[in-house]
Amino acid sequence: MSIFSKVKDRLEDLRRPGYFKKYDHKFTMVIDLDRCNGCGACVSACYAENNLPVVGKEECGKSRALNWIRIERYVEGEYPDVKVKFIPVMCQHCSKAPCETACPVYATYHNQDGLNVQVYNRCVGTFTCATYCPYDARRFNWFTYKREKPLDQQYNPDVTVREMGIMEKGTFCIQRIRAAKDRAKDEKRALKDGDVTPACAQACPTGAMVFGDLNDPESRVSKLAKSPRRFRLLEELNTDPSVIYLKRVMKDGRGTSEE
Amino acid sequence: MKRRDFLKYIGIGGAGTGLGYLFGKVTQSPGNKLIPYLIPPEDIIPGVGAYYATFCTECSAGCGILVKVMDGRARKIEGNPRHPVNKGKLCMRGQAGVQGLYNPDRIKAPMKRSGERGTGQFVEISWDDAVSTLAKNLTELNKKPEQLYLLTSDMRRRGHQHTVASSFMSGFGSPNIIRHDLLGPGNLEFANHASMGLSAIPHYDIENTRYLLSFGADFSSAWLSPVSYGHAYGQMRQGGNGRGKLVQVEPRMSLTGANADEWVAARPGTEGVLSLSIAYAIIEKGLSRAGDAGSWRSALGAYRPSEAAKTVDVSEERIYSLAKEFAQARPSLAISGGNLEGYENGPSCHMAVSVLNHVAGNIGIKGGVIPSPEALASAPHPMTGPKNSLSRFAADAEAGRIKTLIVSGSNPVFTAPKAAKVEDALAKIPFIASFSSYIDETTAYADIILPPHHPLEDWGDEFSEPGAGFAPATVMQPVVSPLYDTKGLGDIFIMVGKAVGGKTAARMPSAEFKDYLRGSWKEMYAKNRAMAAGAPTFDEFWIRTLSEGGWWGAESVKPRCAAVSVHAVKEHLSKSVAAEFEGDEKAYPFYLMLYPQAAMRDGSGALSPWLQEMPDPMTSVVWGSWVEINGKTAASLGISEGDVVSIESPFGKITAQAYLAPGIRPDTIAVPIGQGHRQYGRYAKDRGANPIEILPFKENPKTGQIAVNSTRVKVTKIGNGRLVKQEGAARELGRDIVKTMTPAEFERIKG
Amino acid sequence: MAEGHQKSSMSYKDVNEDIYGIITRSGIGYYIICGLFGAGAAVLFILPWAYQIYVGQGVSGLNVPVFWGIYLVNFVFWVGVAHAGTLISAMLFITQTPWRRAISRGAETMTFFALMLVTLFIFIHMGRPWNFYWTFPYPTQRQLWTNFISPLTFDVFAIGTYTTSSIVFLYFGLVPDLAALSHTASGWRKKLYEFLSFGWRGTDAQWYTQNKACMFFSAFIMPLVVSVHSVVSWDFALSLVPGYSKTVFAPYFVTGALLSGFAGVLLMLSIMREAYPVMKKYVTDYHYDRIGLFVLVLSLMWSYLTLMEVVTGLYANTSQEIEHLKFKLATPPYMQLFILMIFCNTVLPLVYIVRKVRGSVFGRFVVPVLVLVGMWLERYLIIPNSLSRKFLPWMWQDYAPTWVEISISLGTLMMFISMFMMFVKVFPIIALFEVKEDIGVPMKNRKHH
Ligand code: SF4
Ligand code: SF4
Ligand code: SF4
Repeated sequence: MSIFSKVKDRLEDLRRPGYFKKYDHKFTMVIDLDRCNGCGACVSACYAENNLPVVGKEECGKSRALNWIRIERYVEGEYPDVKVKFIPVMCQHCSKAPCETACPVYATYHNQDGLNVQVYNRCVGTFTCATYCPYDARRFNWFTYKREKPLDQQYNPDVTVREMGIMEKGTFCIQRIRAAKDRAKDEKRALKDGDVTPACAQACPTGAMVFGDLNDPESRVSKLAKSPRRFRLLEELNTDPSVIYLKRVMKDGRGTSEE
Repeated sequence: MKRRDFLKYIGIGGAGTGLGYLFGKVTQSPGNKLIPYLIPPEDIIPGVGAYYATFCTECSAGCGILVKVMDGRARKIEGNPRHPVNKGKLCMRGQAGVQGLYNPDRIKAPMKRSGERGTGQFVEISWDDAVSTLAKNLTELNKKPEQLYLLTSDMRRRGHQHTVASSFMSGFGSPNIIRHDLLGPGNLEFANHASMGLSAIPHYDIENTRYLLSFGADFSSAWLSPVSYGHAYGQMRQGGNGRGKLVQVEPRMSLTGANADEWVAARPGTEGVLSLSIAYAIIEKGLSRAGDAGSWRSALGAYRPSEAAKTVDVSEERIYSLAKEFAQARPSLAISGGNLEGYENGPSCHMAVSVLNHVAGNIGIKGGVIPSPEALASAPHPMTGPKNSLSRFAADAEAGRIKTLIVSGSNPVFTAPKAAKVEDALAKIPFIASFSSYIDETTAYADIILPPHHPLEDWGDEFSEPGAGFAPATVMQPVVSPLYDTKGLGDIFIMVGKAVGGKTAARMPSAEFKDYLRGSWKEMYAKNRAMAAGAPTFDEFWIRTLSEGGWWGAESVKPRCAAVSVHAVKEHLSKSVAAEFEGDEKAYPFYLMLYPQAAMRDGSGALSPWLQEMPDPMTSVVWGSWVEINGKTAASLGISEGDVVSIESPFGKITAQAYLAPGIRPDTIAVPIGQGHRQYGRYAKDRGANPIEILPFKENPKTGQIAVNSTRVKVTKIGNGRLVKQEGAARELGRDIVKTMTPAEFERIKG
Repeated sequence: MAEGHQKSSMSYKDVNEDIYGIITRSGIGYYIICGLFGAGAAVLFILPWAYQIYVGQGVSGLNVPVFWGIYLVNFVFWVGVAHAGTLISAMLFITQTPWRRAISRGAETMTFFALMLVTLFIFIHMGRPWNFYWTFPYPTQRQLWTNFISPLTFDVFAIGTYTTSSIVFLYFGLVPDLAALSHTASGWRKKLYEFLSFGWRGTDAQWYTQNKACMFFSAFIMPLVVSVHSVVSWDFALSLVPGYSKTVFAPYFVTGALLSGFAGVLLMLSIMREAYPVMKKYVTDYHYDRIGLFVLVLSLMWSYLTLMEVVTGLYANTSQEIEHLKFKLATPPYMQLFILMIFCNTVLPLVYIVRKVRGSVFGRFVVPVLVLVGMWLERYLIIPNSLSRKFLPWMWQDYAPTWVEISISLGTLMMFISMFMMFVKVFPIIALFEVKEDIGVPMKNRKHH
């Protein structure tokens, strides 16, 4: 191999997010939009698991709710031919994440599990990541939000309580991933499919959300990811998201072959 | 360290009997255990959560839950994966259960009234004082025990907490239990009983159906058992055996309507008519599977599609095509709820849907209506009816027949129309005791409050319906030690009963409620051989039950047979099944439809800041009320989004902000139930409007169920405003964000 | 050379005295105004900022997804104003354009203070400004490094470099002047000048070195004219946001920066001339004429690029771009703001075509003020506005600054003015030695054209 191709390879390596050739895991979520009925259980599960603050009506009015996951609802047509589509949107854990380029202090970066992680301690609050995120997945701690006592007794001790000036976003419940990895290590085995379930997927009544490791060819997500209904949100932006959606089936749907 | 503190820290409820951690050991990660601070048992690792099994009391579905407890505090509620109702899933209400437990406005100790009635001013007293005050008052009634009334809800009528309450009442000698539950399925139960002879709500097998025709049943948000049906819905769509189709009939597109493949915006109140005319069309086209189709044809003569089309505002062709699809898709299923439950003739409407199921041959088949087995409950299972309705309560109070009232689990001041004059009735009652955890609107009228534990601190049980081949019995056990100076709900009845003495005391269990519960389960165990499978002794069974959250004899119960006969429903269908609305059409041009959301339900969710901040699925509004108006209608009235409008019925007036909804009939407006509290804690108080206030007080004479969709209103703009909602814009603008495919293409890729 | 200059009758002494007069001779009124601006800055800027740091960024009008509001607008605006200094000092120095001499010091000073505000606004817009130093690459025990592919890190370097070199450049130019003035001055000023002039004696060797150094810095800074604002534009252009992600942004921002910079210099000179009539001797109609032409040309370039910006959006013809343009061009109040911007930046500078206008009161005061307003609006219409209409319509939100943001913006402007006024009281605002060159008695070994 010539020196040039070696250098070229090395440079290409460096361009990969995380600077690694291959992730240990590539955690992925598959969301079946044909199952999802937009009930919002996932949203409140996230509040409960991740110590999300309640910001109140006034702040909600300024679009500052701290929801890591939201159900977007898009309407097509006019009465009486109204079609409604729901899509749960959270941080897509883009493999080529625009937010990661943006952060000057590496407060957000890609880790070995294929996750886009946010280091609260390192964040200086330049907002750049949030402006760069095409999915508007990022939320900011505009103030230090406090829970009224004794509601604070519910705080999940496994998750940091954030203070003002810090950016945050969905983590795929990284604390659960860590716990599962530790457990697997203790038991001297590899992580297996189903060891980790984020709070949203756990709550989802319709079973729309499935979480797993795309590097494991046997995992449920690997199988679902091959579905012909697969698509990713704003895929044209080339962010390579780790959330894979499965198309909703609907009467006036845009079939690829029927256009 | 005091014993009390110790208990608080180790977080084992009550006397440390919660055994959920055993379950934790089995199904959760190893080491999900309890934190011992003083004498650490060997199998407990600090810093790792323990899971306790109990059930969710946020609605009547009775989902099994696991509560993650760390450092003696309830951190997270998760679905119990073994529970047959919710299969490990949970709705947003269920998640927010912890916020009820840790709500800053919980009542911390017994209290007695210090201000005017209704103002909600109370001072704390001791339990001894509280119990003796109530007992003294009750002893004074001894001559006329029927002057004691119990006002409770439909919700927990199936468990032993309710049994104790009933024994208390019967021991005391009063038959007067008033049951008021705004969203209770009283009409549906009655209709099923009258038409199919079922005493429990049947199992609607959404999971296996291929064609689901839903008449106003919003099973995705608040109808009967949203988690169970949510799971079934997911399976119906993508469970692997052919994609089921969903057609939703309702004047206002609900969350379920939004997910439907077709939305049929029938005229409010005429869903029953539509159902019968579809049935007629099925028979007419010879597609009926019922043996007695001929007799139905003549019985349904009045519902020919050609005539019904105009009434329901759905074209004749569409009725025929629905009929054809419904009859040909195998299996198909029609369900009815939501709006239909809220019409003054609710039972007839439900029966009309039963008839449709019968005609299409959907009763008793997989993917259709499967009659439930008898519930296991040893508890009585009374149906609501005119005898225990709110109107009777109001009349009796008015007549001075109520001397003492115990309120437990019901809040009619909020959930009944102003026209019911509940407040006047309460004012007439000399003594009111409330067993409530929060100062809600009704409790504000109480003279004395005896606060029960939060369900996460209490003992109890539940026999949920519906079930397919299973009859779950779920135990409620304390997962944390009581936060405040409260007592178990069952124990309060027992304490008061004993203090009253006499026959009442005699009917009370001798021990604490916890032991009574165990005793009752022991009886059940003795009677039910299936329970003994795998658990030779009761102690083993009980420990297993507590660890797993309950018992559900999966294969042990057989569904029963049922059918609808012309004869059974004739009486109810003799009159038109179209519902009537109060108010003159000219003066009040719009139908008012009220609907419950998943978060607030009947308003009980308003105390949780999480639920307040949860965007409503169909409008994304947070922290308040709104009124949904069709965009064109709004334009003609000069109303734009966020404008403050007044909604006036012949019975009153409220104001709310307008939301221009795409999915609502132009002649209909819809307002969610649940906001507009005047009491009920800091998060609920003085927020939004309570639309129940402006309803007429119409009860179904058979079931006592209050009709919530029963009036017309007029709408006028009174000001400008900005609606607080999450939605920026709800149109894709050709960006093809949520990609879709047609059913035809789906079939192709599958094959 | 130097047509239009009528200074040959002046002696060096006159120049010294005139300029020293500017430094010392002012009525109490001047100090009161300066003090008022200073107090205004304290009240309008320091207090609200302290409040914001204490309570959180929530006191601003920012929201999801409009995370960048008028703090960033101000940041870009002041970077723009800072540009004229560089251009006039460096570019025109290298090309030896003679009319720059009387105005270069003023422009450089403006650059210096504008850059100060630029830095300030970076801190003001941060969520946790007390950790600002984390953006610098310095060796730490935790082995944390900065992210060199982040455009914000580019910013740190670009603006850091620009600020440092501007200060050095300003100071190099000051050295001979301070030495000269130390003879005229008395009191603390004399001591200060003596100290700061580093024993400058005006020897040929010294002049030679100074000239070389200025030459070097001019050459060094010149690329910065282009690069700094290009880098600033990449903060936006490197994102995917519709309305940000445009290749035209670098030249567009640079042109805009120069336009606002020249307008700023023009305004500053006009005000100085009113405040110090003696300056009229040095800053003449000829200067207005030249700067006016610059503004005119830049305005035309800017207009072209604005058109390009819109047209590329239209050409892309994606829903994202179209909605962004609709929001910017056709939604009140942004539509009105856009029209105002076009009026200020395109229509109004056209009056400079008429030579007479360039020197008129209208041309000296009204036009530059409005050009500055227009340039501020341009940034406003780009920065928060684009964020209001991103990819997922569900998250569309509008933005409006709150009183904290407005107050901080005004306060910093006041701080700029008061600091500038103080500077004038300490340092010569007209470069003595350069003006003396103009007078025409060559005292140094230097070529003239
Ligand atoms: S969705 Fe947004 S925040 Fe998440 S990785 Fe992608 S760009 Fe970053
Ligand atoms: S919980 Fe599941 S069904 Fe409900 S909104 Fe979330 S993804 Fe959709
Ligand atoms: S449906 Fe929701 S509220 Fe009702 S019991 Fe289940 S989890 Fe609780």
